[in-house]
Amino acid sequence: MASVIRPTLLRQAFAAPSKRVLSTSTIASSAFKSSTLSSRRPLQSALAQDALPKSARIAAFHGTGSRMILPPLPQRIQGTVNDPASVPDPTPAHGSYHWTFERIVAAGLVPLTIAPFAAGSLNPLTDATLCALVLIHSHIGFESIIIDYVPTHRMPGVRKLFMWGLKLATLLVGVGLYEFETNDVGVTEAVKRIWKA
Amino acid sequence: MFALRNTMRGGAARAVFRSPVAQVAPRRTAATQNMPENAARDILVKQRLNRPVSPHLGIYRPQITWYGSALNRITASILSGGFYIFGFSYLIAPLFGWDLSSQRLAKSFGSLPKPVKVGTKMLLAFPFTYHSLNGVRHLAWDLGYGFSNKAVMQTGWATVAASVASSLGLAFV
Repeated sequence: MASVIRPTLLRQAFAAPSKRVLSTSTIASSAFKSSTLSSRRPLQSALAQDALPKSARIAAFHGTGSRMILPPLPQRIQGTVNDPASVPDPTPAHGSYHWTFERIVAAGLVPLTIAPFAAGSLNPLTDATLCALVLIHSHIGFESIIIDYVPTHRMPGVRKLFMWGLKLATLLVGVGLYEFETNDVGVTEAVKRIWKA
Repeated sequence: MFALRNTMRGGAARAVFRSPVAQVAPRRTAATQNMPENAARDILVKQRLNRPVSPHLGIYRPQITWYGSALNRITASILSGGFYIFGFSYLIAPLFGWDLSSQRLAKSFGSLPKPVKVGTKMLLAFPFTYHSLNGVRHLAWDLGYGFSNKAVMQTGWATVAASVASSLGLAFV
């Protein structure tokens, strides 16, 4: 709502500059020429005559309107009031190595995804490799979803729970897929079977 | 240190005028007041509660750039979620006596009516094709290609078109 009326407010705030105190208009400059203590009156009346209330003039310069979707969460201040934001440990294992590993897995999935379409299905070893890479890729993806939506500073306990829950899930799914790969025909052949059924 | 500023006016202000200089230029004094760390922190917490809350995604104009990015994560969640559900179900199947062998699954899927089969295939094929093609786009970005706003929008729409077409093709196989 506020965003709809804001341009109008801004235009009105810039309109009629003669009424504004610090503008270079005639009224303001004449008021400043006779700037004794007793001549403060015309200045104040110029302010009072301004068409818009003060709150509206301030609102016109705000970038976003106040749109409350949810109330703010309880605030927590770590350390003392004047502490700077903590900088994470600059270990490459948390940054660039992890990033490179992610890309290697993702890039490795490209030929393994195309191959079954070209060859019909995959041999057991390649199929197992595809399965393992998809599992790792999924694990990394779920991890980044948790990191994005469960921030540590707000919900440290829930974050820990989700991360360990994901580790457990990936482990169990990995065992399940190992069972499937060893007892059944493999993922690509199984998908082909079901797809053409 | 955190302190409350309290400007004094009127009688209190006049009482501190002692030197002739002060009488020439009226002076305001600020009285500070020490308070315990906890009380100061409480004030800060209360002030922070008055800060504006950042608005939800609804305020942004729908654009292929960020809609495509959101769709990338949604399709990924569908694919990986399904993958995890299947892997876990296969692991616990013996406990409940389920038969999740590929033969059995193919048989029960084959017995479904044609529109349901095509619909199910479409629901799985679109996330697969979109996420695969968009993944290639991401890898190109990682190598530094196609970063201009125009290129991102063009490849974004191309990915949507290609994935809809290819998933329709896969669904009717």
